[in-house]
Amino acid sequence: MSGRHPFTLLAFAAALPALAWTLPAPWGAAGTFAVALLLCLTPGSRPGLGILRTAILTAAPFWLFLFLLHDRATALAIALRLSTMIASFVWLVAILPPARLVEALVAAGYSVHVAFLFAATLSAVPVMRARAQRIVDAQRCRGLATRGGPLTRLRALRALALPLVLSALHEVDERALALETRGLSAGARRTALAPPPDSTAERVVRWTLVAACVAGVVGRVLWRV
Amino acid sequence: MAGLTFADVRFWYPATERPALDGVSLAVAPGDVVAVIGSVGAGASTLLLVAARLAPRVTGGTLEGVVEAVPAGIVLPTPWTQSSGMAFTVADEVAFGPANLGVTRDEIARRVDRWMARLEVAHLAGRDPATLSGGELQRVILAGVLAMERDLLLLDEPTAELDPAGAALVWRLIRDLARTEQKSVLVATSDLDAVPDFATHVVWLDKGRVRAAGAPAAVLTADAIWTSGPGSTTVAGLWRRAGLAAPAPLTVADLLARVR
Repeated sequence: MSGRHPFTLLAFAAALPALAWTLPAPWGAAGTFAVALLLCLTPGSRPGLGILRTAILTAAPFWLFLFLLHDRATALAIALRLSTMIASFVWLVAILPPARLVEALVAAGYSVHVAFLFAATLSAVPVMRARAQRIVDAQRCRGLATRGGPLTRLRALRALALPLVLSALHEVDERALALETRGLSAGARRTALAPPPDSTAERVVRWTLVAACVAGVVGRVLWRV
Repeated sequence: MAGLTFADVRFWYPATERPALDGVSLAVAPGDVVAVIGSVGAGASTLLLVAARLAPRVTGGTLEGVVEAVPAGIVLPTPWTQSSGMAFTVADEVAFGPANLGVTRDEIARRVDRWMARLEVAHLAGRDPATLSGGELQRVILAGVLAMERDLLLLDEPTAELDPAGAALVWRLIRDLARTEQKSVLVATSDLDAVPDFATHVVWLDKGRVRAAGAPAAVLTADAIWTSGPGSTTVAGLWRRAGLAAPAPLTVADLLARVR
């Protein structure tokens, strides 16, 4: 899947959650969740099992709290829908390098600012993870215990949160300056360096997914009526 | 027309009362390499941000006075925050700026080859920028900004991450760009030993004001630069410490010429 056009990957990642919330629960959401999990196993920039594990670990706390708060049927429906969203996003982040998305958007005629808005969203997770690891390493060097029981880990998390947020906010300024220095706001239409190839078959897949989403919404409205 | 002209420029960062620049006037003509020196907090980095029109447009703040500048390429002191974060490879990173300017793909390829070769990073072309050392990344960022081929270059501590050989390469390149391509260059640096070799003029900033400006031999040999400034070159320092007659030589070559 990683070789597919970025818009096709985006279409899958957007359509699955949309269908999960519009198709009847729990079977519709179970189906979309199963497809999202299968996508996580497709070859990408990271090993498939690693993506799957990240998706499941991210979704697990939601399952726990939903089953504590709701009856079983409601909890199952919402959990499957949320898990579809999480798995789709985790898969997209793992499989679509932001630079390819920028190239595709620029080649399609979108403004470079729109392209970077999408790309920054995709790259936020790995960037924050790398930053958190650097902060944890620095704190370990200064004697903070980050391994051990739940209380120790909780204390370490507290020590991580503030510097993580503050440094992220600080870097926003630096990043804005850096992108300005590289001509991002020069007003010219950006040249696409290596526009990803697109095919009729992929365009058909994308429009089919859009049509399925529209059908899901219409069906949902009619079914409710 | 000068590449850069400041006339009585004052600049305040948001929520500050003391100006970071206070009545600064200077000009950088094509072919000039002007070194801005000063102690920490003197305003050198702010001067470059204003010249690049990033301050106050991006940083916020208030600007007074007249700033006239041709489109500039600016290199900031921390290369890891200057990488685009949107490039698979070093070659893509160098191409990032020219692509944003709408330069054609063929011309981008030519510029990428040219500037990677001049910064001696061509062997890194296929590497992921995130895996580079600080020195390698600084050269790549320099190559990326130079590939934009602006007439005015603003360089803030461009050799901070480089080893002595890398720094010498960059200073040589800057001097060559001014001489052969008539670029206007403004460099903020604390590498005072290199200044006499690459700079045609020196501006000494102190708390946002111009304390002295002129040829390196004039500014870097003034008594005041030792008593209330950032100091001067190592050779000049040794000469002064030995109590020898002023003016002090600035470089080893000057020293040898004087001794002989």
